Amino acid sequence: MSNDVLALLILLFPAAGALLLAGRGWRMPRLVTQIVGPGVVWAAFIVTLVLFFNQVNGDFTYWTWIKSGNFELPFNLYVDNLSLFMCLVITGVGGLIVTYSVGYMAHEDNPSYARFFTYMDVFIFSMLMLVLAGNFVFLIIGWGLVGLSSYFLIGFWYHRRTAVAAARKAFVMNVIGDVGMILGAFVLFVQFHALTFASVFQQIDNPGQCIDLCAIPAIGDSSTLELAAFLLLVGAVAKSAQIPLHTWLPDAMEGPTPVSALIHAATMVTAGVYLVARMHPIYDVAIVAHDAVAIIGAVTALFAATIAIVQTDIKRVLAYSTMSQIGYMFLAVGIGAYSAGLFHLLSHAFFKALLFMAAGNIIHAMADEQDMRRYGGLWKQIRFTSVFFLIGSLSLVGVIPFVGFFSKEGILGEAFSRPGTLGLAVWAVGFVTALLTGFYTGRMWWLSFWGRPSATRPVEHPHEAPAVMLIPVAILAVLATAGGFIQMSALGFGPTLVSDFLQKVVPKPSWEENGTAVVVGLVTMVLGAALFVGAMRIRPWSARVPWAQRILEHKYYFDEAYDAVFVRPLDRSADDGYRGVEERVIDGAVMGAGGLAEAGAGSLSLTETGYFRNYVLVFVAGAVIVAVLLIARFAT
Amino acid sequence: MSSFDVGGSTLDVSWFLLLAAILFTLGTIGVLVRRNPLVILICIELMLNAVNLTLIAFSRQLQNIDGQLFALMSMTVAAAEAVVGLAILVDIFRVRDVEDVDDLSEMSG
Repeated sequence: MSNDVLALLILLFPAAGALLLAGRGWRMPRLVTQIVGPGVVWAAFIVTLVLFFNQVNGDFTYWTWIKSGNFELPFNLYVDNLSLFMCLVITGVGGLIVTYSVGYMAHEDNPSYARFFTYMDVFIFSMLMLVLAGNFVFLIIGWGLVGLSSYFLIGFWYHRRTAVAAARKAFVMNVIGDVGMILGAFVLFVQFHALTFASVFQQIDNPGQCIDLCAIPAIGDSSTLELAAFLLLVGAVAKSAQIPLHTWLPDAMEGPTPVSALIHAATMVTAGVYLVARMHPIYDVAIVAHDAVAIIGAVTALFAATIAIVQTDIKRVLAYSTMSQIGYMFLAVGIGAYSAGLFHLLSHAFFKALLFMAAGNIIHAMADEQDMRRYGGLWKQIRFTSVFFLIGSLSLVGVIPFVGFFSKEGILGEAFSRPGTLGLAVWAVGFVTALLTGFYTGRMWWLSFWGRPSATRPVEHPHEAPAVMLIPVAILAVLATAGGFIQMSALGFGPTLVSDFLQKVVPKPSWEENGTAVVVGLVTMVLGAALFVGAMRIRPWSARVPWAQRILEHKYYFDEAYDAVFVRPLDRSADDGYRGVEERVIDGAVMGAGGLAEAGAGSLSLTETGYFRNYVLVFVAGAVIVAVLLIARFAT
Repeated sequence: MSSFDVGGSTLDVSWFLLLAAILFTLGTIGVLVRRNPLVILICIELMLNAVNLTLIAFSRQLQNIDGQLFALMSMTVAAAEAVVGLAILVDIFRVRDVEDVDDLSEMSG
């Protein structure tokens, strides 16, 4: 098969699976759902692998979607090392998670079971569309579709009020981002009169040279690109749950745990990182927006890590840690260390999916209890999951030799070596965040697995999860343990396969990593690991400062502030509009018109007595009047 | 010619018109005040015949045959009207016992 057909097949497999399950899933035997649901993802993974090993690169155009005058919009897929890298993460980690769901969702009845896998396949399709799209329109379509499938999956248990509210919140936040994306695409279209990546990037790379009919051939100043870059950043920030559009992600944990692993840790929330990397020709020119990416990432990393310290729900700790780790990725792509950021995306997909699925096993064993304070002492009882969770935790903290060390210290090393104050500033924030990460991860691990079983633990003798839920976790555990050795730049020697692969697409950092960074990275690791161990004994300092504790427990009052600034005024004005305008003016007008007609008809109907003599009397009176008038007229 | 030769004496046309007016008024009053449907029909006949008398009187006075033709026409219409009116009345009497047109006031608003 030719390469363009293969590229299209990556998309078609999940789409076909989703259509089949949506149409027939509810009455097919469960076994078919179990095979089709994960099967199509693995099929897409195999196709991606074929493209990967054939080192396919190209911009495949399939058909023209819109043709109007000089404007032409093709449906094209942009296959290069970056999109193949993303496809491998999505289909590989996605395949493991969807397989895991076969066990995790086993308690659902058949229609719900099929519905779950339909949504998962829709999500995989949308995400692949997002990363493979070769023009802004299909990028936005994929971007919107992942938001939609995220909405479906957060609200999967639609009988829970909280789940529905969380789904709605996530959708609204994502739509804010979608609007930013669409406006950004408009700005670029006005500037370049093109929507395909190839054409736009070529015009940015060769200012003054115009390949299409462009209105403003030369880019005199970069202000238009800055605007476009900021608008695209709004989209990235909303999708990746960065400050200030982050409040949906913790609530999204209402969804089933595989969803949290797949969408809200491994793939969808990293779409913002992909976007910045994909748009690097724009961000390389739009310097202010590029720095903003780094600053937003650094602030979010620190901010989310502080909140994670006081959370008690195991999935919420992981959610805030996800925000924090994506903050690292933003930091990396924001300072121009694209491949470091994307490597962290890969490693984060490994260890955070691992952590979420291991947490899912715990939640399964604990009869759906998510409060860590009610666990305790699980280490001896569910040994496999405990070990997997420990591997994930150590990877998250960034301990050698786990993958998290290589990716996180890779980012911090790049930031440390970068000339200028911005690099040093974000490094300092990242360093503090790394220490906090050690602390909250340690707290989570010791609370859940160590010590005596909590007095209020819901299950006395928990059972280990079935094999279908352990094997994907085990595979991820292996990847999280050994995956770091493909990219050892954090240690200053060894292979750098990921950055070699990606540097065909994204530029290298313009600076050399200096030797001190390696030492600093090792120091960070030691301190983080010390805090991980120390978390068993020390209480968070905030526990001694009640007001700080309160602020953290309220997540810096973001939800309350949004509630006060947006939600409640909107509610109130809608209420006022209903009472004042709808009820008084509009209802008044409608009811008034009706009332007027009724009253008029009522008074006129009084003349209709039904008595023959009354009608005759009126008739005679009329005749007399006409006669008198005629006589008066002719008499003169 | 402004008068009619009646048995040797002449009679002014205004007498005929006066008679017609009296008959018409009697008919109108009858329609207005009587309640018996049959009497009302008779009163309508009276009004029509008052009009016929007027037509004939003017026809004679103006020496124009049109008036007499019109009177014949109106007698035909009166006959038809009596047929239809009586048929409706008979039908109503069949369904229910009506003594009074005021009993037929279902169409009141």
